[in-house]
Amino acid sequence: MKKMRNKKKLFLEIYRNKHIYLFILVPMALFLTFVLYPICRSFFMSFYDWKIIGSSTFVGFKNYINAFNDPILNISWRNTIIYCLATVPGQMIFAMTAAILLNQKIKGRIFFRTLYFLPVVTSWVVVSFIFMYLFNSQAGLINYILKDILHITKQYYAWLSNGKSALFIIALLGIWKGIGWSMVIFLAGLQGIPEELYEAARIDGASQARLFWKITIPLMRSTLVYVLVMLIIGSFQVFISVYIMTDGGPMHQTEVVLTWLYTNAFSYLRFGYGSAIAVLMTVFIFIISIMQIKLLSKPVEY
Amino acid sequence: MKKIIFWLIITIFTLSLTLIGTAEEEVTITFWHTYNVESNEYITLKDVIIPKFEEENPNITVVEQQIPYGDFHTKLVTSIAGEIVPDVVRMDIIWVPEFAEMGALASVDSYGSFSTIAEQVFPGPLNTCKWGDSYFGLPLTTNTRILFWNKAMFEEAGIEGPPTTWDEFAGAAEKLTKPGEKWGLAIGDCSPWNFLPWIWSGGGDVTDEGITTATGYINGEDSVNAIQFIVDLFNKGYIADTIIGGGIGMQDGYANDVYGMFPGGPWFYGMIGGQFPNAEINTSLWPAGKGGSVSVIGGEDLVIFEGSENKEAAYKFVEFMVSEETQLILAETGQIPVLNTIAESDYIKNHAFYPIYLEQLKTAKARTVHPGWQRMDAAIKLGIEEAIHGVKTVQEALDGVANEINAIIEEYK
Repeated sequence: MKKMRNKKKLFLEIYRNKHIYLFILVPMALFLTFVLYPICRSFFMSFYDWKIIGSSTFVGFKNYINAFNDPILNISWRNTIIYCLATVPGQMIFAMTAAILLNQKIKGRIFFRTLYFLPVVTSWVVVSFIFMYLFNSQAGLINYILKDILHITKQYYAWLSNGKSALFIIALLGIWKGIGWSMVIFLAGLQGIPEELYEAARIDGASQARLFWKITIPLMRSTLVYVLVMLIIGSFQVFISVYIMTDGGPMHQTEVVLTWLYTNAFSYLRFGYGSAIAVLMTVFIFIISIMQIKLLSKPVEY
Repeated sequence: MKKIIFWLIITIFTLSLTLIGTAEEEVTITFWHTYNVESNEYITLKDVIIPKFEEENPNITVVEQQIPYGDFHTKLVTSIAGEIVPDVVRMDIIWVPEFAEMGALASVDSYGSFSTIAEQVFPGPLNTCKWGDSYFGLPLTTNTRILFWNKAMFEEAGIEGPPTTWDEFAGAAEKLTKPGEKWGLAIGDCSPWNFLPWIWSGGGDVTDEGITTATGYINGEDSVNAIQFIVDLFNKGYIADTIIGGGIGMQDGYANDVYGMFPGGPWFYGMIGGQFPNAEINTSLWPAGKGGSVSVIGGEDLVIFEGSENKEAAYKFVEFMVSEETQLILAETGQIPVLNTIAESDYIKNHAFYPIYLEQLKTAKARTVHPGWQRMDAAIKLGIEEAIHGVKTVQEALDGVANEINAIIEEYK
């Protein structure tokens, strides 16, 4: 008797909130179909020599063993980590600077905030081409300025034909494009710090630097951790800019994990291997994210 | 009451839509291609060729779809995986063995008219449709690469005419180069598409005829000498930086008297003519080396996908495209026909620029017809890049390529 009444209570509860469940239903269906199902299937595929027509052969961990022995994949990991180490601090430092500056009540601050945010919403494809033309070795604007106007260099430099300088430009693009996103979040965080704290500290004779390090940063802790985690995850997923500007070249020197995965899967039709790389990438990002959150989150004391 | 009427109308409407679909016996075939939508070829396809076909075959509708070349391979692969495939595809000749091997293409040699048509097309292009014992398509157009030389720059440098031997070629490259301003030669990148003509003209090759090994071929003496020839020119500064990923485009450099020579094909007339209508274009055969003047065959084949539900109609369209009338129409838009009947015609002989391509096609070779070609292509490209950048010597680089190609051949056995 009681079980029936509890069940009825449950159904009534669901029925009463039916509009909530209906709202969740569509995104949930999309999530299950386009995110969860492909992830699971990809994991499954990584243990096969996957063929798109016909039957695939089970190969166990062979794809993973190949992944660990693949010299080009190792170069990709290295480049991806370098890209991460260059762009994440780059974005955060410039974004924090911009946020603090644009938190002041100066004229044109909305104009500047918009200007900084604009690159975030531009297409990766478009900005990659623009950077490619800017740094073109014969007709690029940068070379023209460096040689013909400022006379800093004697010859035009082939920026994208060299592994190191190409990676530098790709990282530059990544930083430029991402500053606005972090800046907007930092601005919101800054505006959550009560002004009285700063006043009180100033009365006690604190310098600007102390204000920054002792008040701003600690109170923005959770915001900073959030941005850090998101930027690191995002930086590992760099693909379009590398694919368009160098396609991993020359000689795989600018290859990142996703471009190498893409080449293996779609040009060489090695879908099992590509899936194994994807799984490894997922595990790696997952571990890093968990580590960051555990290490860096602390309750805030005023 | 209102609600009932509303739902009744919706139901009738939906039902009638589905009924309309099944009322007629029409067949619709989809045709995928990579024609640039602003090009002459595309406009001709849409306004002349397809309407003509539909007029002659009133129960077949052709729906054409353009996909950019860079994405095309991926798009084909994903459509196969998703099991929604087009009926007819204008496919780059180098992909046919790959897609045939995986079972994606339908063989066409069982159709009645096939053997007649097969005798009328050039044997080189026809060979690119063959995999195993069957043919999986028919060639649509063919092309090859020849030398484009800038007459104005040649005259300025005091060179008499286009080079016909490798020594003349090296000499011309040297005289045409002005460091920082002009370059004697421009090459697009380090891929086989650009370098195989040098390897073949030098007497070398990628593998043996039966495609069993690359050792002694891609890293054999003739191939090494051919690549070394170009590497030397690069080290002396005669080659523009397009080869390592910089520089301005071929047509821009050629039309603006910056590049003295570059390997081009029939598609450049549209490209150069479109942007620089006053530029003069001069061409000559590929400079002859130890192996003669041997260039590389390009082009497209028409293939029918195995997953197509309208193979009969698809084959009719393929037949139509390879027929003499259509080939002549295509010829006028700059695509070299594949029928040997047209090749001997007055139309071709009097054409502004075709004769030299047909001359070059007599000796031109196709890239290795093997499903693993994409990977072999990447391996050769990497090897040549290493040689050009000076990371390895030419012999070392090509030895690495030979090992890579042997491994690929092993995988597909």
